[in-house]
Amino acid sequence: MAAADSPSAALRRRDLCSRGIRLAGKMRADVVDLLDAYVEQQGLDASASVAAVEGVPLAAVERWDEQTGTQRLLENLAAYRAFRALLAQMLEEQREQLGEADAGLGRALAAVLLQVSAFTYHLEELLRLESRGIPGEEEDGPPAPPRLSLFEQKLRGLGVLRELAQWAVRSVRDLRQLAKPSPAPGAAPGLAESP
Amino acid sequence: DSHIQYERVGADVTMKCGSMDWDAAVTWTANGTDIDESHLNGSYLILKNVDLSQSGQYSCYEGSSWHLKYQTYLRVGTPPKEPVLMCRSNNYPKGFYCSWHLPTPTYIPNSFNISVIHGTKDMVCEKDAVPKNRCHIRLLQLFSTVKYKVTLTVTNALGKNFTTLTFDEFAIVKPDPPESVVAKPVPNNPRRLEVSWQNPSSWPDPESFPLKFFLRYRPLILDQWQHVELSDGTSHTITDAYAGKEYIIQVAAKDTDIGTWSDWSVAVHATPWTEEPKHLTTEAQITETTSASTSSFMAPPTTKICDKGAVVGS
Repeated sequence: MAAADSPSAALRRRDLCSRGIRLAGKMRADVVDLLDAYVEQQGLDASASVAAVEGVPLAAVERWDEQTGTQRLLENLAAYRAFRALLAQMLEEQREQLGEADAGLGRALAAVLLQVSAFTYHLEELLRLESRGIPGEEEDGPPAPPRLSLFEQKLRGLGVLRELAQWAVRSVRDLRQLAKPSPAPGAAPGLAESP
Repeated sequence: DSHIQYERVGADVTMKCGSMDWDAAVTWTANGTDIDESHLNGSYLILKNVDLSQSGQYSCYEGSSWHLKYQTYLRVGTPPKEPVLMCRSNNYPKGFYCSWHLPTPTYIPNSFNISVIHGTKDMVCEKDAVPKNRCHIRLLQLFSTVKYKVTLTVTNALGKNFTTLTFDEFAIVKPDPPESVVAKPVPNNPRRLEVSWQNPSSWPDPESFPLKFFLRYRPLILDQWQHVELSDGTSHTITDAYAGKEYIIQVAAKDTDIGTWSDWSVAVHATPWTEEPKHLTTEAQITETTSASTSSFMAPPTTKICDKGAVVGS
């Protein structure tokens, strides 16, 4: 069980949560813009269904409202670490394929990567606040993807950005749950109630 | 034998008198009224280019004994056109509902079947008792990038049709309008109105899924609305109202992160506070009161810039 919430820890957590909410909200807006630009410049169909891409963390979750605060943080952290690696790889592929032609897309991709990195650090801060051990990086890094064709790379990129956009919304919701004052016994668990 | 016979509008209908021969002497009635012989071909009843008014009970009696030999209830109607289907979540993240209607009536009974598929998973759409053509689905999974596919099939005795909707979870989130909208003057402030409202009661968890709001207001004497978007809280003070002019005010809501704006709330009216006229007795005072009221109509305030692209439900 996490140490009972001291007022300063609660204030610090609430502050970290509200800043995290703003960061995730901004990240989502940028990812949605990037997604539009990516679809257009890669000549993809916006309504195309993209099967779950290996190594891309799915934002979809069942019984979301029953998750504990620590579960939320750990799942978020694992996801954004994976996205950090995936976006870095997309950026690299982008530079290899397109050079200057799509510098704009590259810059937008780099900007989102920066935000994902910042948000990852933010999540680690929150976990530290809960005196939770931070899982090591190697445990989360996505497996090196198989060599893909150009079109497969584009589809994977679409899948990555779509999931990231969903994760950003989920993170906002998760952080709002975490920001809630510790619930009365028996209610849906917040951070302080984590097992 | 008595049964129901469905026929399309405009069809030509032939009815045999049960097992009676073609040349048997018979009498046909429609809703108890004898049918003119011109409609008969032998003992067969011929109805050309039927229309809705010819729906009814048709009976055939044996000529001499008046035995009832055949009876049917003719229902004239049309096959269903493609149904109109709409799915929406006004109680996110609990679930969403789908409702449907036919663009034109068929005049005969129809049956509806709806299937909801999320990826590869079949979901149950629980029919609501009221309203009739509606069912709701519980969202078991949130934040999914997998689309939902809803197919509605309508069938009646004369044909069948269907329609399909494919959508993302976020795209159908549309709250109900805000409730309990109240607008009040602010004492001693001739240009202020205090507006308050409540989250729609159908929205289950405003704390985790907060709503933002859009307020529009205008004096009754003008057509141009002024808008202001509010990212939190359920009240706002209008500070640029025309003194003494009655205002109409409405509010709309949207999930802070996803979906579309609700329809506008019920409109409320309010007039800013005005100073009580002093109790003057002489002729001068009356003149003074008249000139004072013509100067209260001041220059319109600048319209607040709405949020780019914020289009509220019509």
